[in-house]
Amino acid sequence: MDYDAIVVGGGHAGIEAALAISREGFETLMITQSLDAIGRMSCNPSIGGLAKGNLVREIDALGGEMGHLIDRTMLQFRILNRRRGPAVQAPRAQADKFSYSRLAKETLEREHHLHLFMDTVVDLLIEDGSVAGVVTERGWRISSRVLVLTTGTFMDGRIFIGEYDAPCGRLGESAAIGLGDSLRRLGFHTGRMKTGTPARVRLSSLDLDEMERQEGDAAEPFSFDDDAVDCPQLPCYVTYTNEETHRIIRDNISRSPLYGGKIVGRGPRYCPSIEDKVVRFPDRERHQIFVEPEGLGSEEMYLNGLSSSLPEDVQRAFIHTIPGLRHAEVMRPAYAVEYDYLDPLDLYPTLESKLIRSLFIAGQTNGTSGYEEAAAQGLMAGINAAERIKGEKGIILSRTDAYIGVLIDDLVTKGTKEPYRMFTSRAEYRLSLRHDTADERLTPIGIRIGLASGERAERFEHKKQELCKVESILRSARSGEKSAYERLKEPGVDIKELGITDLEAFPDQILRRVELDIRYSGYLLRQEREVEKARREENMEIPPDFDYDSVEGISSESREKLKTVRPASIGQAARISGVRVSDIAVLAVAVRSRRG
Amino acid sequence: MAHYSTGDPIYALATPYSPSALAVIRASGDGVISLLQPLFSSDLSRKPGGSAVHGYISDKRGRRLDEVMLLIYSSGHGYTGEEAFEIMCHGSLPVIRSISAALEEIGIREAERGEFTYRAFMHGRMDLTEAEAVEEIVGARTERAGSDALERLTGSIRREAEAIKEEILDILASVEVQLDYGEDDVPDEWVFPSERVSRIIDRLDLIASTYTSSRLYSHGATVVLAGRTNAGKSSLYNAMLKENRAIVSSEEGTTRDYIEADAELLGIPVRLFDTAGLRDAEGDVEREGIRRSRTLIDEADLVVYVLDGMEADCYPDGERVLKVRSKRDLTGLDSGLSFSSVTGEGLDLVINAIADRLKGDELPSSDVPRIDSKRQLDAIKEASSALRDAEDAVMMGEDVVAMYLQSALSSLSALTGEVTSEDVLERLFSSFCLGK
Repeated sequence: MDYDAIVVGGGHAGIEAALAISREGFETLMITQSLDAIGRMSCNPSIGGLAKGNLVREIDALGGEMGHLIDRTMLQFRILNRRRGPAVQAPRAQADKFSYSRLAKETLEREHHLHLFMDTVVDLLIEDGSVAGVVTERGWRISSRVLVLTTGTFMDGRIFIGEYDAPCGRLGESAAIGLGDSLRRLGFHTGRMKTGTPARVRLSSLDLDEMERQEGDAAEPFSFDDDAVDCPQLPCYVTYTNEETHRIIRDNISRSPLYGGKIVGRGPRYCPSIEDKVVRFPDRERHQIFVEPEGLGSEEMYLNGLSSSLPEDVQRAFIHTIPGLRHAEVMRPAYAVEYDYLDPLDLYPTLESKLIRSLFIAGQTNGTSGYEEAAAQGLMAGINAAERIKGEKGIILSRTDAYIGVLIDDLVTKGTKEPYRMFTSRAEYRLSLRHDTADERLTPIGIRIGLASGERAERFEHKKQELCKVESILRSARSGEKSAYERLKEPGVDIKELGITDLEAFPDQILRRVELDIRYSGYLLRQEREVEKARREENMEIPPDFDYDSVEGISSESREKLKTVRPASIGQAARISGVRVSDIAVLAVAVRSRRG
Repeated sequence: MAHYSTGDPIYALATPYSPSALAVIRASGDGVISLLQPLFSSDLSRKPGGSAVHGYISDKRGRRLDEVMLLIYSSGHGYTGEEAFEIMCHGSLPVIRSISAALEEIGIREAERGEFTYRAFMHGRMDLTEAEAVEEIVGARTERAGSDALERLTGSIRREAEAIKEEILDILASVEVQLDYGEDDVPDEWVFPSERVSRIIDRLDLIASTYTSSRLYSHGATVVLAGRTNAGKSSLYNAMLKENRAIVSSEEGTTRDYIEADAELLGIPVRLFDTAGLRDAEGDVEREGIRRSRTLIDEADLVVYVLDGMEADCYPDGERVLKVRSKRDLTGLDSGLSFSSVTGEGLDLVINAIADRLKGDELPSSDVPRIDSKRQLDAIKEASSALRDAEDAVMMGEDVVAMYLQSALSSLSALTGEVTSEDVLERLFSSFCLGK
């Protein structure tokens, strides 16, 4: 055996997977098509945002790397939804994508048990239904006990710019050809998806005074390991499209590969191209565009909101109608990319393949979009691959514990028809999944599996004590008729304005955390019964080899769905769309009786 | 999604819902016996599992509902294997429904069909063969009736519920878009659509109010005949039972001072009481009888006050009071509500009047869909109360408002089918232009 584990791909999923496995002491090989592209941000130069910011903090709480990387490379920090309720607030940072990528590679290189190798995987080695290794383009056959596949948009990737198209995963980077066919031969269900990215323009060619300047907030760390971050605070700029922009797009719509039928893959509804927006919302007079820096020492600026697959001459023409961009020098064109994804219904909630044992799949390969979604899956695939080497059962986060749980459960239970992005509204128990409580929810798990370091565990213990102290101070202090604790349940009461001197010694984030815990306590109680019930159903496990055909009385429609998904628990079975309630009851009875 | 579960207290009528000598109501779940204790006349805390206890069951306000035998099962025994009890009560429909209502008041919900059997299995009270029979029973029901709540609904309530769901979904999407996109993409402040929400609440409340009249036909009403001694109450009572040959049972209370019987008046199942005459009583026994009559009168759905046609009498008007005049054959009056139990004249008018009054004038207009199950009523009430909570939570933040709107939608799912997060996102993407 050459390695304990092989990770295919060096993107955001691959990084977390490789680190998670090697940090547990297993010899791990990362194979990537380009060592220069590790941790590359293919699209927007930012990390976090609504729901995604929560994912980053959850990754960090478990012992993942994304929080550390962004804390050291951010250019601007903001808290979104500050006024719209703490449960849906989330941090977002503009990243220096060059430093981010470089730091990611350095971090991988620092790991003793992690090895990096540049080649392209074209086939898998299979023995007795288990993965045994990989075959590369240059003819290497490398064996391993487990394999994590994180191919992103590279599997049979093809980019489109108007009439131009080329086999690439990113502009200028070759697609991985062959692996998709190999997987299809092995019985994997694949499909095509599409996504897009906007043009990059040169900073010195922009009329900055024609745009609104958007500053960030005081920077806060994503990682629970960091007390503060050092951040240069670069501004972003806001501008708008206009009637002329829309006219040019409408006049040339037939030249778009999306509308001309060249692209068959489904694109994301939540992040439509500018031509989509113009066509679908003809009444809108203007669309907002954010101009964002890609990195310190780079003139490239990202035109957020202008993703497109129109021909380059059309792109230039419409960009030049926009205030601030009238003289913009286009450095890289916008393009659409279409790629193979693997149907996530072929995965168990551990992200292990149902078709081939010890093969784990994570990231955009599973039909998701976004760095954070990819990293979250990469981490869980890595954790579970390591558990598999250890002979353990695997770690499944529940929907009640984490957005990561919601993400993976959605994928493996419902599949996805468009690139899946995390939204807070996908979570039933949103109020319990605040970004600032990620450590409380998940760090104990990180400690248990050995991924959260000793120092992290100590910080976590210390913080728990501090929270406890603050809470008891609030319970004994009076504020008017009530205890300060009770007072904080009222909307708009600020913990720092209660005038309690004992609290002055505590850091801000501890105070804010307690304030929110108290304010939400009543509402959380309301959710608790639901959560409890959900947990009970989650705990009723269905054996992986359960024979659905042997159960009398399940409707044939439900039976087919259950056989496709092969849910791990009654709870998961109940979430499969279109499976009847009474069929779930019959199933529960049957599962129990088969167990004897 | 509604699920079969274990542990939470449920009850069900184990005998058919039709008038009979005896009925059995069965309940199961964690702590059901201590839940029942406040309603039961003897101390249950020391009774071992398997014991039978005689006593009276009352409602929350202490009104005695029936004299019953209670069988109690401690956890690990009995049909479901959970803590359980069985009430053996008189098999009159009003008794059954009043006991059911009392159980619901103390937090024991009506069981889903097959739920008792399901629990029995889950607690290992059945072996494999029996379990397979359960699979078939529950499964067969699926094929036949469709477990999908949608199929159980009649067209009008379903359409209405769908329309309300759409409205709430719209409002929810308008707040979710803010929560999921942030101030960069959706810069406007969200304002709680008070007017729109209160229109929905009004509509829900109106639908909820149809429950009373629908329920009348399925669950019946209590009608008490009152009046002075010898006013002609008993003649009316007998005449009503005679006119309507649907007499099911008539029992003369030995310790009671009134007679009761089940009858059907124009399709409405009625528990009819003939009370002791209301007058200043001399003896203790009679005084007690009159006191009980007054209690009955206070709690009746309708009091039919019989005025002696030959004497001057008055009785306070009231919402639940219908005055009729007796001895029409003697007075010769043919105006107003009067009857003669001798000739039978006017009896049909009186019966019509009673039925009309039971149906009530608060009967909502015909464009309001009717609901006829407690479950539907609960769903609608929950939805309406969640919407009220949503408005109250505006100060807390939009995340909490969204939680209540979602909770309103999930309450309605009993009527409309599940609303998934995908539905919300679908609405959001189709209504708002997004795309940072």
